[in-house]
Amino acid sequence: MMDIQRIIKSIAGLKPIPHVVNKIMAITRDPDSSMAQLSQVISYDAMTTANLLKAANSAYYGCTKKFDAIHQAIVFLGMDEVVDLVLLTSSAENLKRSQKGYGLTAGDLWRYSAASALLARKLADQKNIADVHLVFTAALLKDIGKVVLEQYVADGYEQIKAMVSKGNCSFQEAEKAVLGIDHAELGALVARVWQFSPMMIDIIGNHHCPGQAVVAKAQTAIVHASDVLCLMMGLNGGLDGLSYRFDQDTIESLGMTDVDLQTIITGFAEELQKVEELIS
Amino acid sequence: MNIIVGVSDMKVSKDPDGVLVTYSLGSCIGIAVFDPVAKAGGLLHYLLPESSLDSTKAAANPFMFADTGIPRLFKSVYELGGIKNRMRVVMVGGSQVLDQKGFFNIGKRNEMAARKLFHRNNVVIDFADTGGNGNRTIRLAVKDGKCWLKGSGEGERLI
Repeated sequence: MMDIQRIIKSIAGLKPIPHVVNKIMAITRDPDSSMAQLSQVISYDAMTTANLLKAANSAYYGCTKKFDAIHQAIVFLGMDEVVDLVLLTSSAENLKRSQKGYGLTAGDLWRYSAASALLARKLADQKNIADVHLVFTAALLKDIGKVVLEQYVADGYEQIKAMVSKGNCSFQEAEKAVLGIDHAELGALVARVWQFSPMMIDIIGNHHCPGQAVVAKAQTAIVHASDVLCLMMGLNGGLDGLSYRFDQDTIESLGMTDVDLQTIITGFAEELQKVEELIS
Repeated sequence: MNIIVGVSDMKVSKDPDGVLVTYSLGSCIGIAVFDPVAKAGGLLHYLLPESSLDSTKAAANPFMFADTGIPRLFKSVYELGGIKNRMRVVMVGGSQVLDQKGFFNIGKRNEMAARKLFHRNNVVIDFADTGGNGNRTIRLAVKDGKCWLKGSGEGERLI
């Protein structure tokens, strides 16, 4: 088994999450927050402003008018959409790198994470789950542990692969057995270092085993559902493929039947092209 | 020249330089057919087993479902000169997330939908690689009907 402390220390190699993310999350938690506050926070951050304008002008929103000022984009998109867009673009730096240990080229993990976040938000809306931004952000960052763990997965891959191919062992379980820590657990540690809320830490740490969530049960269930749907749609091009667990009790606890899953798949598959345009 | 077949999509070709390819089949199924005499091929990438789920969506895009997509695939290759009993049929995909059981196992249901349809129409599957927990990518060269399959974390192999 590898030295877990050494793996945990590698968290320091991540790009720090931009300050704007924590500021935006605080705004979403404050019921008295205003669009003007949001606009101000964003406009102080040049990179976020540029990224937000690019996304607002993408075909995803289908607006023929082009925005060149941040307040126009905010008025058009609305506060909720802007918050998610800022979170989306701010996470790109870490997620866009190639993750060779997982067989992911540059951009693969980012595309998967963004698609999964957009689907999670849709499911949270459908199921009236509280705190949609939290669900969105957690779905977006749920695999942040992979960014740290990938170099160690590369070293232990033969053993991990042997365990997974024997059957009835998920990639995550094999990571834990071979490396001593898995990407979800490590992701929760990253969330702690980044001073995210206990709910966010809970979701990221338990997105593959939602039954173990403590403080954010419903939100973890949604992120899990979104993850397994994206896996089924073949969106994870990594060598871990679909080797994760499907928690049927959790899916059913959301009131989802197999017909619901299929209906969601048909709807989201039609949107995938637009999603690509948003995040390209 | 790669001719990309997206999700819920189908392409047919007689172009000898054409290579039909579909990426990232998870629970979806890819069906490649090729007539060596007409030198015509087609590739379908469907998402779900039955169009009864949503007849409006199936009418707008028959390639989303096995029962509407597969007949269209065969008919489109017939239009290029293909004849059923000469055609090589390859089926790949239908993976599942661990513990996906019963009706929730959409990968398995996708596979069964194709097998049922082929059985009913006397179509023999020449090669199948289905199930498991990996993604698959398949390529079909239109000039000679050669197919290559690539699974998660594996090299590409001729099938």
